[in-house]
Amino acid sequence: MTECNGMWLELALILIVFLGVIILGNNRLGTIIQIFALQSFVLSTTPLLIYPGLHAVAIMIVTIILKVILMPSLLFWAMRHVSIRWEVQPLIGYGKTLILGGFLMSVAFLISSKLELPAKEISNLLIPSAFSVVMMGFLLLVSRFKAITQVIGYLVMENGIFLFALLLLEKTPLLVEMGILLDIFVGVLVMGIVVNHINREFGSGSTINLTNLKD
Amino acid sequence: MELIVLLGLPFFMGMVVFFVNQDRFKKILFLSTTSLHLLTTMSFWQRKPHDVQFNAFLGFDALSLLILGLVSILFFAVSIYLIGFLKEEEHRSNRIFIACLLCLLSAMTLVTLSRHMGLLWIAIETATLLSAPSINFYRNPRSIEATWKYLLISSIGVALALLGTLFLGVSATTIKTVFLENILNNAASLSPSWLKLSIIFLIVGYGTKMGLAPMHTWKPDAYGEAPAPVGAIMSGALTGCAFLAIFRVTQICFHAHLEKFVSPIFILLGLLSLGIAAIFILGQKDFNRMLGYSSVEHMGILVLGLGLGGGAIWASLFHAVNNAFAKGLIFLVAGNLYQNFRSKKVSAEGGPAAGGEIIRGVIHQLPATGLFLILGFIVIAGFPPFGIFYSELLILKEAILTQRYMIVFLYFLFLSVIFWGFSEVILGMAFGKPADNAPPKIKKENIFTIIPLAILTFVLLFSGVFVPQFLYDLINEASALLGG
Repeated sequence: MTECNGMWLELALILIVFLGVIILGNNRLGTIIQIFALQSFVLSTTPLLIYPGLHAVAIMIVTIILKVILMPSLLFWAMRHVSIRWEVQPLIGYGKTLILGGFLMSVAFLISSKLELPAKEISNLLIPSAFSVVMMGFLLLVSRFKAITQVIGYLVMENGIFLFALLLLEKTPLLVEMGILLDIFVGVLVMGIVVNHINREFGSGSTINLTNLKD
Repeated sequence: MELIVLLGLPFFMGMVVFFVNQDRFKKILFLSTTSLHLLTTMSFWQRKPHDVQFNAFLGFDALSLLILGLVSILFFAVSIYLIGFLKEEEHRSNRIFIACLLCLLSAMTLVTLSRHMGLLWIAIETATLLSAPSINFYRNPRSIEATWKYLLISSIGVALALLGTLFLGVSATTIKTVFLENILNNAASLSPSWLKLSIIFLIVGYGTKMGLAPMHTWKPDAYGEAPAPVGAIMSGALTGCAFLAIFRVTQICFHAHLEKFVSPIFILLGLLSLGIAAIFILGQKDFNRMLGYSSVEHMGILVLGLGLGGGAIWASLFHAVNNAFAKGLIFLVAGNLYQNFRSKKVSAEGGPAAGGEIIRGVIHQLPATGLFLILGFIVIAGFPPFGIFYSELLILKEAILTQRYMIVFLYFLFLSVIFWGFSEVILGMAFGKPADNAPPKIKKENIFTIIPLAILTFVLLFSGVFVPQFLYDLINEASALLGG
């Protein structure tokens, strides 16, 4: 890896985390989906920056098709059907979510400093940013009520996991990675359909209505 | 050839079913696919399992053969059951339902066959996604809520398992693969800190899929709202697949000499699951939800066995086999009850099952189903001579032998409470008098919904009471994987 690539990689990682923070602080569903697509696009370039080659190009193309084109359009489709534009009332306020996100980022750096990589490091920022993005996705998942926002939270989490997978890119066979990406896509597809069902039965895409089942 | 029948055929038939309109044809396709699957699986029982390696990714060991047997037999029983079940639900579309079930069979087979941790993850995730649409069979608000919770919680769990798999890969930087064989053979060279992190994530992730407390919250909802055949498959076969994943993780720990690290985690999760199940089974008003908590209980016993180690590992595997068939039996009984009473209510108070009549006097109204209800209760509650009694006893024995009396006490306490709650509900259902305003009426029982119950009882006799030699050998060999 050349010096120049390393710089671009770090820039990409910072951008990914930064876009994650923007998703946390936004309440317009359309914007959130667009930012998610942008984050996925930046993400798809990272394999190429670390291991230039055919393998990385293949992954980049599949990632772009699934995460930048198909998933956001699916989410937009679900959003139009559910006809909601705003996350009305989050469980945790936007300001607090942002502060919590910043706190989680520092936790991510703390954890990463404790873990040493068995092999040479690709970039100092890779593991902390991966942890941060995973935790931001999780935060989004638990703090919002709209089914679509929860799906996006899940996807942001997957983006963070993708960053971890970069550590292993050299040695996981292509088949497995493709299977993983495809599974995530099908997962979102199924979730999208269920969101639609929720909307039809409850008249809104909010999971706050899902409280019939309890002990 | 075997691989095509086991993996390809169910998947292909799933696609075919999608384009078929005739109900009868769909049922025949389903039944013939599961029969072929079962026959192929049975052909493996005569051979030494470790001789069967298809390629680097797919192969058998004793454990996979054991779990594959569970999956195959349960699917066969359910495919017969569906002939009668779908007749009562003719007005509902079953195209997606049957297609998903067939693909699910294929995905679960892949879980048992995979010899690569990444492939294992893919197979489990696929099985999760395929089971979600079949929970939503009744298409009412309650079943959608259950589906959503199941999807979301399971997806988070499976995502954590993916992280764990990646960490495992990071810890295995020196060997550069996550093939199970390579990892087990080079377990000593794995980086310990990443390996421990990976094990925690894998246990939490696959534990969510298995339904261990405190990650069990989807289970009563999903089992409560899913149609009975799906409940039977999920609580019998799907949890078996998740148990297989947990067992693989334990195998890695065993080879890396991390038993001391992992066994307290298992014991804690196991006792917590037992405790939660005990609390919620007592006074439960919905029969299917109660079965969901019973599943949490039995999953708890399984990991408790893994945590105690030694002879308890054998007990745990034996328990997994018997629990799968017992759950299959009792869920199919629950299906018969629901189709006749259109209610899952077992007690007079309100609660989530509000509406519908209370199930009482089953033995008078539905004699055959009532008989199997009592039988299922005897098996699940752990009466001798059935297998669950022996496995529970063996785990107790191991805890006493290792002088962990706190575990012994809690285990005994929780099991007694669960037994109490269970017997109160089921005996009331079976022998209780119907409410005065509902005159007792003899309801019809479809023969196709009774045959599978008889088959499963027959299987239970052989998996628990008269254990045939090959099953005995298989469990011995599987528990030897963990040195048990």
